[in-house]
Amino acid sequence: MKRNVLIIGGGPAGIEASRRIRDYGHTPILIEKESRLGGHLAKWHKLFPDGESTKELLSSLTSDMEGINSFTDTNIVSINKLKDLYVAIFSNGISVQADAILFATGFSMFPAEKKEEYGYGIYNHVITNADLENFFNTGKDPRIKEPKVIGFVHCVGSRDEKAGNRHCSKVCCATALKQACEMKELYPDATIYCFYMDLRMFGRKYEDLYLNARRKYGIFFVRGRVSEVSEDIDGRLVVKAEDTLVGKPIRITMDLLVLMSGMSPCVENPEIASMTGVHIGEDGFFMPRDLLFRSTESHSKGIFFAGAATGPKTIPETLNEARAAAMAIDNYFKHKD
Amino acid sequence: MRERFISGFDYFVLPFMVGMIFVLLWCIIGIIKIMVQLERKDRIKLYKSLVNPVIMGKNVRDWFGDCLFHVKLWKRNKVLGYMHSSIAFGWFMLILIGHIETFLYIPERGGLFYYPIFFRYFMAVESPTLKGSLLFFLMDFFLLVVLSGIILAIIKRFRSKLMGMRRTTKLTLLDRVGLYSLWAIFPLRLIAEGFTAGVGGGSFLTVPVNWLFASILSKPENFTIAWWAYSIALGTFMMVLPFTRYMHIPAEFILIPLKNAGIRVRRPRKGYALAELYSCPSCGVCLDACPMSVDKAGLKNTTVYYIRQVKRRNEPRALAIADKCLMCGKCSVLCPINISAIDLRLSLRKKQSYNIENDFSYLDKVPNGSLTSAISVGGEKVLYYSGCMSSLTPVISQSVQKVLTRAGIDFTLMDSQGTVCCGRPLLLSGRTEEAKALIEKNKQIIKESGAPILLVSCAICYRTFEEDYDLEGIQVMHYTDYFEQLADKGVIKLKKQEHKYVYHDPCELGRGCGIYEAPRKALARVTNLVPAAKERKESICCGGSLGSLTLTHEERGRITENSIRNLTANSPDAIVTACPLCMKTFSRQSDIKVVDFAQVIAENMIEEEE
Amino acid sequence: MIDFGYCLTPSSTIEIDDADLRLFDELCNAEPDAIKCISCGSCAASCTAGVFTDVNLRKVLLCLQRGQQKDVLPQLKSCMLCGKCHIVCPRGINTRHLILSICKIYNI
Repeated sequence: MKRNVLIIGGGPAGIEASRRIRDYGHTPILIEKESRLGGHLAKWHKLFPDGESTKELLSSLTSDMEGINSFTDTNIVSINKLKDLYVAIFSNGISVQADAILFATGFSMFPAEKKEEYGYGIYNHVITNADLENFFNTGKDPRIKEPKVIGFVHCVGSRDEKAGNRHCSKVCCATALKQACEMKELYPDATIYCFYMDLRMFGRKYEDLYLNARRKYGIFFVRGRVSEVSEDIDGRLVVKAEDTLVGKPIRITMDLLVLMSGMSPCVENPEIASMTGVHIGEDGFFMPRDLLFRSTESHSKGIFFAGAATGPKTIPETLNEARAAAMAIDNYFKHKD
Repeated sequence: MRERFISGFDYFVLPFMVGMIFVLLWCIIGIIKIMVQLERKDRIKLYKSLVNPVIMGKNVRDWFGDCLFHVKLWKRNKVLGYMHSSIAFGWFMLILIGHIETFLYIPERGGLFYYPIFFRYFMAVESPTLKGSLLFFLMDFFLLVVLSGIILAIIKRFRSKLMGMRRTTKLTLLDRVGLYSLWAIFPLRLIAEGFTAGVGGGSFLTVPVNWLFASILSKPENFTIAWWAYSIALGTFMMVLPFTRYMHIPAEFILIPLKNAGIRVRRPRKGYALAELYSCPSCGVCLDACPMSVDKAGLKNTTVYYIRQVKRRNEPRALAIADKCLMCGKCSVLCPINISAIDLRLSLRKKQSYNIENDFSYLDKVPNGSLTSAISVGGEKVLYYSGCMSSLTPVISQSVQKVLTRAGIDFTLMDSQGTVCCGRPLLLSGRTEEAKALIEKNKQIIKESGAPILLVSCAICYRTFEEDYDLEGIQVMHYTDYFEQLADKGVIKLKKQEHKYVYHDPCELGRGCGIYEAPRKALARVTNLVPAAKERKESICCGGSLGSLTLTHEERGRITENSIRNLTANSPDAIVTACPLCMKTFSRQSDIKVVDFAQVIAENMIEEEE
Repeated sequence: MIDFGYCLTPSSTIEIDDADLRLFDELCNAEPDAIKCISCGSCAASCTAGVFTDVNLRKVLLCLQRGQQKDVLPQLKSCMLCGKCHIVCPRGINTRHLILSICKIYNI
C-alpha cells in the first residue's frame, strides 16, 4: 500500500531523501519555501576539499526527480496529528495526509550585521562568505575592487555567547581556507590573512587543504579574534585583532574583509516544534532521539530528521543522513504493517 | 470636667511610659550620633539651612506632605496613600487634640507624657458643653480615620495586589511584633475608651461601645484591664520601634532637614547615610521597580534588603548586593522618600580596596594632539567624543559625522587614534581617586582643542562630563539635545516617514540627567513615536549597565528580555536608543530592528538641491 | 675549583609540577567563569588601555593558569575598567569583575 511521506525542505537532504523514499516504493511529497530547489547549496560555487563544482553536484542530485511531487514557493501553515497520520496544510491551500514526515529544514545563515563591530552593511568592503560565493558565481560585486590585502574572519556568529550561538558551525574553517585559496587564484598578488580561534580541519583531505593554503598559496594565519573594524580616510578597512601567539594586538589596513557567517537554527523551528511535539536543543536546532544511534529519529512517532536541521553538517554527512532517514522511514512503515 | 483620681496616676500607664522614654532616648542619641558623624562642612550647611526661610519653608512643607500625608504614595496608588496617611495623620491629630484637651481642662497635668494619651480614663465629664462635645467628636472622628487605615493595612498584608503592589517585603520577627502591636493599639483604644465613655465622655464611636459594655457590667469605668491592654500595646510598639521598620517615623522627620540642606551620603553607615537607612519604611515599592526582580531570586538584591543588611552590619552580604546593582536609579525615583540608593551602594563600593594601585602615568606621555583629528569645514566649532563603546557600534560615530558634515559644523574627533575612557566605569565601581587621572587627561585634551562645545554620543559619558568634570566655559551637549537644536534652527532638514518607532530612555540620560523631551522632539520630526508601556523616569534598564560588577550573562539576558517586552508593548517597527551600550545590549536579543538616534536622523536628512 | 667561565642558566621551561595554583583556585571560586576562557584575544584586541600600554587580559589569565603571575600582574594597573572586553567576550565572562577579583586575590 502506498504511503505518503511529507518532506519539508528542498535542499540536498530533502532531495536525496525524496529519491530514496521513492525508490523504496513510497510517495514522497517535497515542499520548499524558496522558489527553487537546492537550498543554500544552490548559492555556492565550489565545494571543499577538492573544489568540486556545486552545479554538477546539484544536477546529479536532481537528475532523477521522476515520481516526486514537489511544491516550491510554499510554506507549511499547520500540522496536526490524526491517530497515526499527520495532516499538513500548505500555504497554497493544499492539505496532505502523510504517514511520516521528514524535517530537512536545514539552517539559516547568521545575519552578520548583528556583529556590528565588524561593520557589515556599514562599511563598503565588508562581505560575508555567502556574498563571496555569489561573487565567484557571477563575477560581480561592487564591494570587491582589485583587493590587495584581504582578510577572512572565522567564527562570526559561532562560538559566541554574545551572538546567541554557543555552537561551532563546523564547516566555516574549511570554507574559509577554500575561499582564501580561490581568492588567491583570482588575485595572485594579494596578501591574504585568516583570523581564526581554532582551525577545525577534521575531515579527509582537510589538513592537505590547510597545507596547500600555506605552502602553495602563501596565506597568512593569525590566531586571534578581530575586535573592531574601522575605515580610514581612503575608505580602506582598518582591522584590529590580537595575535595571541605573538602576544600583542595588531592592526592591518585591508581592502576586503570576508566574514565567515555561521549556521544558525531556523527561526521557524520553535513554531514547528510546538505543532508536532519534536524537541529543540538549547542551541535551537532540533534534537533527535539521541545523537549517536538514532540520530535521524525524533521524539514523535513518524517524524524524522535529516541534514542541518539537527546541527551544522557537511555535504557528505547530509547526503548520508538523508539516505539513513529514508531507510529509517521504510523500516518504520514495515513495523507498522 | 474634673479629675477622677487625685493622684492623676495609675500603674497601667507604666508600660507606655517605659516605651515612650526608651524611644525618646533612642531618638535623641540617634540625632546626636548623626550630627557627630557629619563632616564639619555638612554641619555648617545644616545650620545655615535652618535659618534660611526658603529651606525651612520646604522643610515644613515636606514634614506635612511626606511624613503626615504621604503625598508621594497617593500619586502611586490612592488606596495605598489613604492607608498610610490616615494612620499617620489620624494618629498625629489624636495626639495633638489630646494635648489641647489636657491644656484646656487640666493644665497642671500638662507636663505628664501619659496624661493626654489616657485622658478619657483620668477625667470625668461634669456637664456637657459645646466645646467638650466638639473635642469628643474630633477625637472619635480621628480614631475612626486611623481604624479605617488599620483595616486597610491588615488587608494589604494578605492581598497586596489590591493596593497596586505586586510584591511586598518579607518581615523580620521584630517587624511582626511591631506590626501586630501597632494593629492592636487602636482597636484597644476604642475598647478602653468605650469602657469609660459613660463617665469620661465620648462621641459617636465610643458611646455605642460603652452602651454595649454597660449592658453587661454595672460600672464599666472601673475596669482597668482594657487600659492595661492599650498601654501594653503602646509600650510594646515603642520598645521594638528602634529595631523595626517603624523607626522610619522619627527618622524621616530628621532626614528631611538634612536632605533639604543639600547634604549627601558620604560613608556607607554613618552620618547622612544613617538617617537614610533608618528612614526606609520597608514599604516594598522598590521591589517592583528593580529590573532584577524579573527573576524571583533577584528580589533579594533590591534596595530594601540592601538597607536591611547594612543596618544589621552584615557587610559581606551588603557588599554582594551592592556589587550586583545595575545603578539604574529606578528604585530611588519611585521610593516615597527618594532614598539615594545609588549613593549608598557607591559609598560601600568606595570602601573596598581591591588591593590595586592604578598607574595611569602612561597617559601623561601621550601628546594630546596625537589623539585628535580635525575635519575642518569652517563653521561652529565642536569637539566630538565618541567614547570607548563607539568603536564597537561604528554606525553611531559614522552617522554623527554624517549629520555634522551636512550641517556644516567644524568638528574635531577627540578620539580617532585611541580613546581615554571618560572615567565613569571607574567611578561607578567606587574608584574615585583613580578616575581623577583619566579626568585630568581628558580635560587637557578638551581645553587644548579650543572648541566651545563638547559633543558626546554616549549617555554614560555625557553624565560624567556633566557631573564629574568641571569644564569652565565649555558646553557639554548630548547628541540628542544638539541635533534637536540643529533641526529646530533649520540647519538640518528632516523628512517624516510613516513607520512607528519607540524611544528607549537610557538610565544615565533620563533618570541620570533629566533629558527626556529633546530626543522625543527630534524623533517626532522623522517618525511616528509610539510610547513604551513604561517610559521616562519609569523606563526599564536595558540590562547592559556597567554599574553591575557581578551580574552573569544569563541574568542580564533576562533583564534585557523584560525591557524589550516593555518597549514593544505597542508594536513598534524599531527601537531607537541613545546610548551605544543600550544599542549593543538590545540588538543581541531584539526581534525588531534596533537603531541609534543618530542613525535615524542621518538616514532621514533631506538632500539639499545644489 | 676551576672557574670554567660559564654556569648553568636556569631552564626557561615552566615546570607545571611546581606551579602554585592555590590563588588561581581562589580566583575560580570568586569568578567561576574564569576557567571558560579560550584565549581568543578579543579582550586584548579591543582594550582601551591596550592602545597605550601592554595591558593584555588574555595573557594575564593564561599566565595565572600556569602559576606565572609575577611578571604579568603589574600590567593590570593600567586598566581603566571601561568594559569593552566584557562586551566582546564570546564566552560571556564578566571581565571587569574578573580583573577586580584578580587584583584582590593576588594582591598586586
